[in-house]
Amino acid sequence: MSLAELCGMEDTGAFKFSNNLNDDITNFCGNFSSHIQLGVPPFQNPATDLANLAKDDFGRDIKIKFDHGTTTLGFMYQGGVILAVDSRATGGQFIGSQTMKKIVEINDFLLGTLAGGAADCVYWDRVLAKQCRMYELRNRERISVAAASKLMSNMVYNYKGMGLSMGMMLAGYDKRGPQLYYIDSEGTRTPDSGYKWDLTDEEAYDLGRRSIYHATHRDAYSGGIVRVYHMKPTGWVHIDNNDCLDLHYKYQAEKEDVENKI
Amino acid sequence: MSILAYNGGAMVAMKGENCVSIAADRRFGIQAQTVATNFEKIFEMGPHLYVGLPGLATDTQTVMEKLRFRKNFAMLSHMLYEKRFGPFFVEPVVAGLEPKTYEPFICNMDLIGCINQPKDFVVGGTASAQLYGMCEALWEPNLGPDDLFETTSQALINAFDRDAISGWGATIYIIEKDKVTIKNLKTRMD
Amino acid sequence: MSLAVKPHYPDYSNAPIQRSFNPYADNGGSVVAIAGDDFVIIGADTRLSAGFSIYTREQNKLFQLSPTTVLGCSGCWCDTLTLTRILNSRMQMYQQEHNKIMSTEACAQMLSTMLYYKRFFPYYISNVLVGLDNNGKGCVYSYDPIGHCEKATYRAGGSAGALLQPLLDNQIGQKNMLNVKQESVSQEKALSIIKDVFISAAERDIYTGDSIQIKIITKEGIKEEKFELRKD
Repeated sequence: MSLAELCGMEDTGAFKFSNNLNDDITNFCGNFSSHIQLGVPPFQNPATDLANLAKDDFGRDIKIKFDHGTTTLGFMYQGGVILAVDSRATGGQFIGSQTMKKIVEINDFLLGTLAGGAADCVYWDRVLAKQCRMYELRNRERISVAAASKLMSNMVYNYKGMGLSMGMMLAGYDKRGPQLYYIDSEGTRTPDSGYKWDLTDEEAYDLGRRSIYHATHRDAYSGGIVRVYHMKPTGWVHIDNNDCLDLHYKYQAEKEDVENKI
Repeated sequence: MSILAYNGGAMVAMKGENCVSIAADRRFGIQAQTVATNFEKIFEMGPHLYVGLPGLATDTQTVMEKLRFRKNFAMLSHMLYEKRFGPFFVEPVVAGLEPKTYEPFICNMDLIGCINQPKDFVVGGTASAQLYGMCEALWEPNLGPDDLFETTSQALINAFDRDAISGWGATIYIIEKDKVTIKNLKTRMD
Repeated sequence: MSLAVKPHYPDYSNAPIQRSFNPYADNGGSVVAIAGDDFVIIGADTRLSAGFSIYTREQNKLFQLSPTTVLGCSGCWCDTLTLTRILNSRMQMYQQEHNKIMSTEACAQMLSTMLYYKRFFPYYISNVLVGLDNNGKGCVYSYDPIGHCEKATYRAGGSAGALLQPLLDNQIGQKNMLNVKQESVSQEKALSIIKDVFISAAERDIYTGDSIQIKIITKEGIKEEKFELRKD
């Protein structure tokens, strides 16, 4: 019997430890059973207040650096939707990875791109993938891109203002044709107004590749590999991966060729 | 963000057998945006003397101008340069051969001029953690000019490939008694 | 009214004292892992420090989760203890429910989900999970503090991560090497590289040192080695 109990304080909240060891195994894994349920922090505004805790007992800074991704591109044309992304993940200035996968294959007819907090995007894409599959099983038809994007924006809206950081594009092909949606962690969700752009497939791939390459050349926080995906009526196809190193010297050689002709 | 990391840049200098090397990246950027990829951070200060000035780009150029000016008035030995470096946001790296004996000499300083003069290598700029790791493993005593070139360039390139705000080409100087070799390296441009 | 400046005695002040709570600590340490075709090696230094003092020189930072999976942790030690305790329980629960041992891939995903649960009050740990996949091939998974997971063949994490990662890129990833054939690394080479990189890290990173604990995972089992580093 503890002193608190002897004093008749066992029901007083502050002294009562309801979490015994068995409970915390499940309590620390709350999102295993309910995927949209994340742990609640012991302070009010995690977006701003977490920074106040970022000092240790010696007053030195604790730098909790999340992996971030930046450059993603999506556009529609007559042949479907093109997604092109780079592959660099940075934690602060440090390049954590040059081979990150910024396109998540949610299912055969749905792709998500990933910009902002890498863990945020990957986690919520995974939850979305599960929900889309559940929808398919319940309704015996594929989910529309509009519905999937609505699911996504509703899920992240629950955590608005908590410091989630994501700006993702959802590309898909459903009954209504090719679709491209943009969703961010503020809950914004907008469909792409839809280019009717007469590009051939090859021209569209090259446009995507070049756009991303130029972004990687100018922007310090993008780089690595340029990945291009094509969403077709028959599902997505991974077109190719190109290392920015090769692309740079290839484009430079082309540019010099053109200059020499003039 | 530190003001020293506003423009980005990486620099390394190494001692070899009767030769020294100094190398830097070629990026000039403003935080995340790369503005130019032909920015020189290493300057010739004498026949066998080079000074690299990683840090805030405007101070890189100001300090370089001041150094040029001072040098013409009084033949300052490189040991004295640090007096002028006081308030500038640069962490100078000096590499050269001693004027008479041709002994290899390298040193670096912090931004208020405290000299560090080790026997092996010095680093500076935003990729210095990465450079320390590389140099600590790759450097060995008494490297000849060719080996020194290889070691320095591998150390620099692999280090800044893991730093977002430096890179975009590299320049390396190998300083020997009778010649100075300058090479531009082909690197990742992203 | 006197204009004299009042003396100030901090001990007798009745102004409210603000106390702050610092739940995080940086206990340092580094983890390096290299995977090959039929093995994976992971090493972690054994120094546990806080600020400029050393708590212990013999702290194992590698946690065996299953006969083919090992987790290396560095960062906040109290978070590490909680995380690994729950991971171990979860591994056990899985085994009892499914009557088989969790695969390395599944374990990697579970760790990511567990880290993300604490999205708004993260574990301050740099995790590197290694193991053999279902085909017996070595694999390395590295994590950011909130569970972004990436599969790789080599990885350095922890306080000397930034020092060591470019070296691994060069020596194992063969980055910036011209005219070399891409080939997978042998077990002997991987082991000697791990020792070399830790010697470098101990020179320049004050939170890494004393010795390294190395685990070599093959289909025959897990072999353990110890290697001394500088202790200053």
